[in-house]
Amino acid sequence: MRRADLMIGAFYNPHLGAELARAEGIDHLAMADPPAAADPYWPAIRGRYTLLLHDYLGQLSEPLDERSIERARALAELYRSPWVAEHFQCLHTEDGRYNLNYVFPPLYTEEFLERFVRNASILKARLDQPLVMENIPGFFDVKASQMAEPVWLRRFFEATGVGFLLDLPHVWLQAHYHGVEPEQWLAEFPLEHVVELHVAGVADDPDLRGPWIAPAEPSDDMLEFAAHAVSRCPRIKAVTFDAFSPSLTADVLFRSVERMRGAL
Amino acid sequence: MTAVPGDRALQDDVIRALADAPYRASPEWRSRALADPDRVERYARFLARHFYFERIVHFFKYSRALARVTGRRPEAVLTTSAFDALLPALVLGSRETAVAVADLVVRHVAATGAAIPFLSDLLRYEEAMMVVEAGPRVWRDATPVGVADSRAPSRPETVAGTVLLELAFDLPAVLPRLLEPWTDVPPAPKRPTRLLVARSPHGRVAVATSDAGVAAVVQLADGKRTLEELAQGARLEVGTLQQTLQSLVNLGAVRFSTGS
Repeated sequence: MRRADLMIGAFYNPHLGAELARAEGIDHLAMADPPAAADPYWPAIRGRYTLLLHDYLGQLSEPLDERSIERARALAELYRSPWVAEHFQCLHTEDGRYNLNYVFPPLYTEEFLERFVRNASILKARLDQPLVMENIPGFFDVKASQMAEPVWLRRFFEATGVGFLLDLPHVWLQAHYHGVEPEQWLAEFPLEHVVELHVAGVADDPDLRGPWIAPAEPSDDMLEFAAHAVSRCPRIKAVTFDAFSPSLTADVLFRSVERMRGAL
Repeated sequence: MTAVPGDRALQDDVIRALADAPYRASPEWRSRALADPDRVERYARFLARHFYFERIVHFFKYSRALARVTGRRPEAVLTTSAFDALLPALVLGSRETAVAVADLVVRHVAATGAAIPFLSDLLRYEEAMMVVEAGPRVWRDATPVGVADSRAPSRPETVAGTVLLELAFDLPAVLPRLLEPWTDVPPAPKRPTRLLVARSPHGRVAVATSDAGVAAVVQLADGKRTLEELAQGARLEVGTLQQTLQSLVNLGAVRFSTGS
């Protein structure tokens, strides 16, 4: 049975602002981008929802600069966010020349662990809210990695005291592309640190020739997997339908949240 | 003795391989055997479509709003053979690739049969926005961001990629209305309009209405002329020129270099 205080929510998609401003059954909205100055629904959205800061703040393989920290602090205050989220990602080169513009995991090595622990600890100390960090899937393994992702994550969370934003479809994809059962792979992760869980749909991508995250409804299997995960996360506070795309429809968003509520 | 690259350098190498198709095909990358080449190629193509989907949806949002009249969604080019043909030479975020992808979009939308008088201007504007945004950027400040010290012997220089657009229609008057609900396409006033499109070092694209003075400064600021020489060439008072330069610096159109 679901805990009464577990929040079920979604991402704020500005093109669905009118529908979200009057929606029922959504406890919170995650904010991937700051509200546009001309967004007519923003005042209503801010007034009625718990908002979670889930923007790109910077990649913690390097220390965030003062401008990025101040931006994070200002957004957290604007949203009155109960926690601040970032990702385990390293998606642009140090010289700024190449940028993937999409979440991409770091090498799971001692050096990167030390970098993320140091830089996340600095960021955590500068925020007025707890910091949570989200796992990122890799489509391929890089031979230079020195340990498995769950081991690296466990060491990170134990060293920093940062919360875990567990992206469940990311775990599902990792398991799928490694030929492992999702529940078996999930059991390796430090679930005692989970504060928030992401649930989403997956769809076949023609370039990948396999499944990937999509702005689609989660399947029954994914919802069952989510219920399994929630039952193993003793500190979890929120479950979020993780879809943020101009192609997302209101029907898909509302039906997904309703089905998540029913499954958890 | 060969130095062993650190993990951060290795990560950069993987990022480059995903972003830069010619590098990905090179013996230099392939000989490193860091990852399964088929998986890397598939993921790189996925990233490329995602990268340019985000940019087309953002920079061609007005053409997108007109799609119910034109019948042509700008992002549709991403699933064409013309886009696939770009993939072997594509470098995510480079100006050359932005030019090539934006050109595909412009040709696709311009082929509509719909009569929209300002469509040609609109496409030039959107194309300029997308191309100006491209290029390396500063992701984190090593030193505080500031404006040039006016006491320093500085010489203004137009930032590479800054664009001046000469349009037949007053686009700024119609653009916001295109994103609101409409039945008939809102008209744009037909009057010559000059726009400056520039990008900050952090990648923020800005547009400003320009006049002859601003245009002259942008065209003449080459990092060699002094303020006095620039004022003379642009036919501006030095005080007016300094105000103009400050605005251009804030936009990201001009920077200062120390003269010798």
